[in-house]
Amino acid sequence: MKEKKAKLDGGKLLQISGAVFWAFFGVRKQSDLELDASTLTPAQVIIGGIVGAALFVGSLMLLVSLVTS
Amino acid sequence: MAAVDHDIAHAHDDHHPTGLMRWIGATNHKDIGTMYLWFSFIMFLTGGVMALTIRAELFQPGIQIVNPELFNQLTTMHGLVMVFGAIMPAFVGFANWQIPMMIGAPDMAFARMNNWSFWLLVPAALLLISSFFVPGGAPAGGWTIYPPLSVQMGMGMDMAIFALHIMGAASIMGSINIITTVLNMRAPGMTLMKMPLFVWTWLITAYLLVLAMPVLAGAITMLLTDRNFGTNFFNAAGGGDPVMFQHIFWFFGHPEVYIMILPAFGIVSEIIPTFARKPLFGYSSMVYATASIAILSCIVWAHHMFTAGMPAAGQLFFMYATMLIAVPTGVKVFNWTATMWRGSMTFETPMLFAIGFIFLFTIGGFSGVICAIVPIDIQVQDTYYVIAHFHYVLVSGALFALFGGTYYWLPKWTGHMYDETLGKWHFWLSMFFFNLAFFVQHFLGLAGMPRRVPDYALQFADFNMISSIGAFGFGLTQLLFLYVVLKCIRGGEKAPASPWEGAKTLEWTLPSPAPYHSFETPPVVK
Repeated sequence: MKEKKAKLDGGKLLQISGAVFWAFFGVRKQSDLELDASTLTPAQVIIGGIVGAALFVGSLMLLVSLVTS
Repeated sequence: MAAVDHDIAHAHDDHHPTGLMRWIGATNHKDIGTMYLWFSFIMFLTGGVMALTIRAELFQPGIQIVNPELFNQLTTMHGLVMVFGAIMPAFVGFANWQIPMMIGAPDMAFARMNNWSFWLLVPAALLLISSFFVPGGAPAGGWTIYPPLSVQMGMGMDMAIFALHIMGAASIMGSINIITTVLNMRAPGMTLMKMPLFVWTWLITAYLLVLAMPVLAGAITMLLTDRNFGTNFFNAAGGGDPVMFQHIFWFFGHPEVYIMILPAFGIVSEIIPTFARKPLFGYSSMVYATASIAILSCIVWAHHMFTAGMPAAGQLFFMYATMLIAVPTGVKVFNWTATMWRGSMTFETPMLFAIGFIFLFTIGGFSGVICAIVPIDIQVQDTYYVIAHFHYVLVSGALFALFGGTYYWLPKWTGHMYDETLGKWHFWLSMFFFNLAFFVQHFLGLAGMPRRVPDYALQFADFNMISSIGAFGFGLTQLLFLYVVLKCIRGGEKAPASPWEGAKTLEWTLPSPAPYHSFETPPVVK
């Protein structure tokens, strides 16, 4: 049961990551959007968005340090 | 979207206060919206007169009309008046009129605060404009009020700082009102993802305003204490850092650019589906793109400062981030184009302005990406290329959307149809003269003509003359717009509840003109 819950959480994390990535890109498939709307809470999406923005900034900084090194 | 299970006719009550007190004590969202729109139009004409004085001076080389000191005051005040007095309040006017009607709410959430938000603007505007008449004149260091110039100026600068504080407070209160209204007062059945896109763009803009305006307030408060109380935040001689002001200013300033353009996206996203007679292509993508533009707008500010002194790593970071913001913006342009694709399009005036918006805003967007490239920006920094770029974004972007939105909703606001022929004349003249005024400025900038100069070398003379002719044509054309609006208010063909057959949002279920009190009983959206 515990293992099943952990698996579900991992799936949810993936779903949040996907939603945030496509939101940054500005495009989302209608069926995925409907799934997000029915299964994700606003708090999950907002926290996912903040983490996504931090990762985005971090990856740009990494890219910059690679280019300038 | 707006299938309504509700007998609207019974909900109307046209009783309203009369006389001057109707406006001074206004709590009705439509009255306050009207005041915002007239205020912004007056400020638009004021800023426009400043622009035309600038263009008259630049009509030919040499100093002819204004002295260099006044010229600098005019360029500065033109920017401040247009940004804080014209464009921003105009969009708040649209929000006041439209958001309650589009979400099926009876009014804004905080009606008295709404009144206060508007009336704060009037003393702020008076303070700003009257700074021309105090010793030392109006602020003259550019609308960005960079130190050290802004620390050294006369009391006009203090007046401008105070005016900006007041306008910022008004904007924050307006934003809180909009956020609360949208999140709490939607009609039953109107989920967030059923909201019209204009409401979505304003919701996101309101969050940006709440984020950005206090940053500006902080920057100008530090400026104020540097000027009057002996602090040295930005004074290098006292251990301060003038470049820090630039960072703080642009941390406000770049989201501010999107504050001025996101509601324009919303207006265009209402107009195009109506006149293409198709639902908006990729509605949810548009919402996502707006949100991601808002987030990205907070991490690109230093592209305004590539030449101010910055490590190469900083330049690269802001260059990459700025170029990436073009992706969600591009998604929007593609979605508008896809909405028109194979639609049953007609070209009434609002649609003409919306198409003009897409065409010219895209040019402004591309020149923005060009400016984002550090080596190019170092060449074009502070030249007329930058002037051309942001006028394509803010005039043919924000202002064209405002014109389109005005023609689109005028029948709902006034109960009369506007003069379509004159409206089309307004569009085509604006389109022609706008490009005449600003397209040539790209060439001037690439040839090296600096901005904020009252005189210039002879090789720039021809393009400046063309630009000035275009500017005067564009300015005079706006008097035609005023005439069309006044004519529509005074009479004309009676407008039906929904004059546009493709319009689907809730406001079109109300009679025209929209009754003074609407949706007192909320409609049910299916």
